[in-house]
Amino acid sequence: MALVQLPGMVGRELGSSEGLRVVELNIGAQHPASGHMRLIVYLDGDVIVRVDPDIGYVHRTVEKLAEGREYVRIISLVERMTIIDACNVTLPYVEAVERLLGVEPPPRARYLRTILCEVNRIASHLYGLGIGGIFLNHSTMYMWAFGDREVFIHLASLLTGSRLTHTYPVFGGVRRDLPQVFREEFEKAKRYMLRRLREYDKVFFNNPVIRGRLEGVGVMTAKQAVALGATGPNLRASGVRYDARMTGYAAYGELDFEPVVGSEGDALERVWVRLREIEASLELIDRALRGLPEGPFMAEKFTKTVPPAVRHWLGKGRLKLPGSYVRLKTRPGEVLGRGEMGRGEITYYLVSDGGMKPYRLRIVTPSARNVVLFDALARGHTLMDLPAIYGSIDYFPPEADR
Amino acid sequence: MLERSVDRRRGGHRSRPNVVKAHLDAIATAAKRLLEPPITLPYPDYMEARPPGYRGVILFHYEKCIGCSLCAQICPARAIKMYRVPGDKRLRPGYNVGRCIFCGLCVDICPVDALSESLVHDKVYEDVPSMDMDPVDWALWSRRVMDEERSPEKPLLRARLDPERGIVYEEAQPASSGGEG
Repeated sequence: MALVQLPGMVGRELGSSEGLRVVELNIGAQHPASGHMRLIVYLDGDVIVRVDPDIGYVHRTVEKLAEGREYVRIISLVERMTIIDACNVTLPYVEAVERLLGVEPPPRARYLRTILCEVNRIASHLYGLGIGGIFLNHSTMYMWAFGDREVFIHLASLLTGSRLTHTYPVFGGVRRDLPQVFREEFEKAKRYMLRRLREYDKVFFNNPVIRGRLEGVGVMTAKQAVALGATGPNLRASGVRYDARMTGYAAYGELDFEPVVGSEGDALERVWVRLREIEASLELIDRALRGLPEGPFMAEKFTKTVPPAVRHWLGKGRLKLPGSYVRLKTRPGEVLGRGEMGRGEITYYLVSDGGMKPYRLRIVTPSARNVVLFDALARGHTLMDLPAIYGSIDYFPPEADR
Repeated sequence: MLERSVDRRRGGHRSRPNVVKAHLDAIATAAKRLLEPPITLPYPDYMEARPPGYRGVILFHYEKCIGCSLCAQICPARAIKMYRVPGDKRLRPGYNVGRCIFCGLCVDICPVDALSESLVHDKVYEDVPSMDMDPVDWALWSRRVMDEERSPEKPLLRARLDPERGIVYEEAQPASSGGEG
């Protein structure tokens, strides 16, 4: 089998088909851009015949590890699937366990969870847009998106005390109350981001170079998107009105949530949906802050057994846990937890046998569902369209591999 | 072999900007940014002053500890282990800062405030064994970290949001995490 030298790449000749040579090409031996993976691309001349995503480089056996840990210790474990979207990834798990425990979080906690989820979503979309930008050699978008993401990481660290892995929602509530400075800082962040989104439109979305690379590339019809099981902004860009937030978990049911839905289904539309979702998330946080109910941020079931020596912390907006929290026992049963992450819908299927640890925790992440799009969307396009398609899918390997 | 099927539909919500104007707009928007100062923190010449409530390395106050071992039980990374200390009847926690994920759950569950979070995150260790501390080492090390908080080696910059420039860093005074309290 002959090796074919392409500029900067090595391909393997697989033989000929209809008089044309078919070449197998490795895109990114280990790390093309957004994480550890490899794409094996079969080319007929310059046209993509097939794409085999080679995944599993960052498989950490999260599901199996969860079986050996107490419920509260799993929160920071599942968080590690997507540290850039930490609240969105843990919230469905926490809500699933809450249902088994029979604990209802107080309204203030549900609103605070929603606020952090949306801050995370904006940061996650900016991350995706930045990576998408550098795929197209648009380093301005890359630098800008990552610089502006820092604004939302700052907001999250004010609320939770941690930049990325917040471990913020816990069973029965959240770990910190809203700090005084948050509203003021968010107001500034919102004004700044809305202005920056107009600049993003000019420098990226309406830029003729970007339009030329993304428009009409990787078109996915609504029917195709549903059949492939695509999720998140990729699904909504094809015109399907579906978002797990519509189920009204956390405080979404009370905030008149309306998903952003596109129509064209091409790579540009997926970028458009992400840009508009940033706007929608800013609006949602604003609404949640205005409607934030007064009251405790942790369920009374747990706060009433907190030792008296440390109770004063609860009044200062910091959570203290009772000693029994480590060894929580749920009732036996099976629950399904669903939530919308930045990249799509995450599903937890939790089976409990009544012990302190789950019997089984099945996790399906949005990136694991979106990985099929590589092959489905890239077929028939030229090799140079592949980075555009990859960038627009916003695929995150650590999340898919679990 | 396979026909490239490209559908150049024009979206209803998508405007079609004039190509020349759009190019100029993009260049002008990017060029305007040239006049603005950089947004990055000049690390490590300056350190970031962490916001109040920041979850840095965990501090241990030996005299308050009752040896209940809840911190070791809740630690998701098994960074805290219980040790037998000569001359002490109860088990005391030791800390492996190399394993710590800074979730702060141990601080949340400590029933007597014997653990607290510092505002220090960036620390350098000479070797791996020095990251694994027994209870006495941890308590002594915690005091050094608290001194460091009060008088940092490098000048501090605090992040603040600005509606025009996004994140800006300005000079800040050292703050204490209130570790002793």
